[in-house]
Amino acid sequence: MLIRIETESEIPIYTQLTNQIIEGIAKGSLKSGDALPSVRAFAADLGVNMHTVNKSYHELEKKGIIQIVPKSGAVISHYDSIDDSTMNRISDQLRPYIAEALVLGVDKEKLLELVSSLISDIKTK
Amino acid sequence: MSLSIILTIFVFIIGLQIAVPYLVKRTVIFGVTVPEQFINNDNLKLFKKRYFISMLAISIVIMVAFLVWALESNRNDEQIVIAGTMMQFGVILISLSLYIYFHAKTKQLKKESKWTENLKEVRLTDLSIRSQDEMLSSYVYFLPMIVTLGVICYTIFQYDILPNQIPTHWGPSGEPDAFTKKTPFTAIQLPLFLLIMQIMFLAIHIATKKSGIKLSATNIQASRNRQLGLRKYSSWFTFVVVLLVTMLFSYFQLTMIHSNLFSGMKFLIPFAFLVLVLIGTSVFALKVGRTDKGDPVQVEENITDIDEDRYWKGGLFYFNKNDPSIFVEKRFGVGWTLNMANPIGYFIVLIPLVIILLISFL
Repeated sequence: MLIRIETESEIPIYTQLTNQIIEGIAKGSLKSGDALPSVRAFAADLGVNMHTVNKSYHELEKKGIIQIVPKSGAVISHYDSIDDSTMNRISDQLRPYIAEALVLGVDKEKLLELVSSLISDIKTK
Repeated sequence: MSLSIILTIFVFIIGLQIAVPYLVKRTVIFGVTVPEQFINNDNLKLFKKRYFISMLAISIVIMVAFLVWALESNRNDEQIVIAGTMMQFGVILISLSLYIYFHAKTKQLKKESKWTENLKEVRLTDLSIRSQDEMLSSYVYFLPMIVTLGVICYTIFQYDILPNQIPTHWGPSGEPDAFTKKTPFTAIQLPLFLLIMQIMFLAIHIATKKSGIKLSATNIQASRNRQLGLRKYSSWFTFVVVLLVTMLFSYFQLTMIHSNLFSGMKFLIPFAFLVLVLIGTSVFALKVGRTDKGDPVQVEENITDIDEDRYWKGGLFYFNKNDPSIFVEKRFGVGWTLNMANPIGYFIVLIPLVIILLISFL
């Protein structure tokens, strides 16, 4: 799977990495049990600081998306059921964006349409 | 003999030096990053051609002058070696000056043509690239190391029959020409140096393996071929050189113990070693140089790879403290150069040299 970052973007590099890895899993390019490259190799291949990759991996770990196993590195977790706390977190994260869209005049129908088109975009890209 | 050795080295080294602009990474022209979209620019082609023709002409003139000088009356070997070495350095200095000149010209052209304007800088990698890496395994280095340990053990067992004078230096014909007094340490000094060198090459191999595989977002295929090719062939080439050095040193050590060994073709051995290393260098440079050549591809978006010129001081030295790579691909030449901002690289290259120098002079 290709990872491409924009160096002059306002989005920090570690967030770009996190987002792309998550999209890769959502799309199916990366599967649970797959190992991500070591921090050193990933940073060297991309030519970025090791802290940047480390920060992204820790963010992914906090979200429960990967597990950092000593010696084998970062491994994509297995998820079978969604627990309440995860659901609450996603709801809390989405809430301000939905409110913002409503304020700016995007109605419920358009918003639902947007969500479903984003889902198919992520799945097929 | 000296004359033929010098001419052989000269032809190989200068031949490669002349071809460098055509062997380097496709998007680096005279040490300047050029976006994929513009690598076939007519001015850039002209710069390369001018460098090639100037270097070729200068090298031929210098070589003819040297030959005329060397063959005229009877020059002795020492004079020929000194003049020949100076000639090598002279031509390399000229090549460096031409490089600096065309580096400045290319940089100016890039600025004037505003190639990077309106192009978004990106960095790219493939999460599966590491599984495609074909560098040799580090374990292969144990083979020559075991040979060296064997030679050391054999020397210790044969200590009594060693000559009282231990050779420390060998001339171009492979005959020892400098000696030191026999002690248990001087007896195994040569294979010990060999072992230090083998450890250094192993460290370089491991450091190269850990260094980044840099892909280009604008031509993923070409950059992948180039980087994987460079890694594979340089690991083979280094290993072959280590094997050859091991054979040469073991040969020196064994002929010291048994002076009548390999009596027939003695003088050929160092020369064969030299020719093999030079042929290896050429094959390596040409093989890697060809991996990423081909027509420029159509770049769909307005993107370009990160402009790394900012990390290359004078277009020659790489300083990037964010990059954990110890070695990076050279900008002018085929091979690797140190990331000067990473102290580990200095240790790998300098420590073995310091140890060898300390042992030799203490």
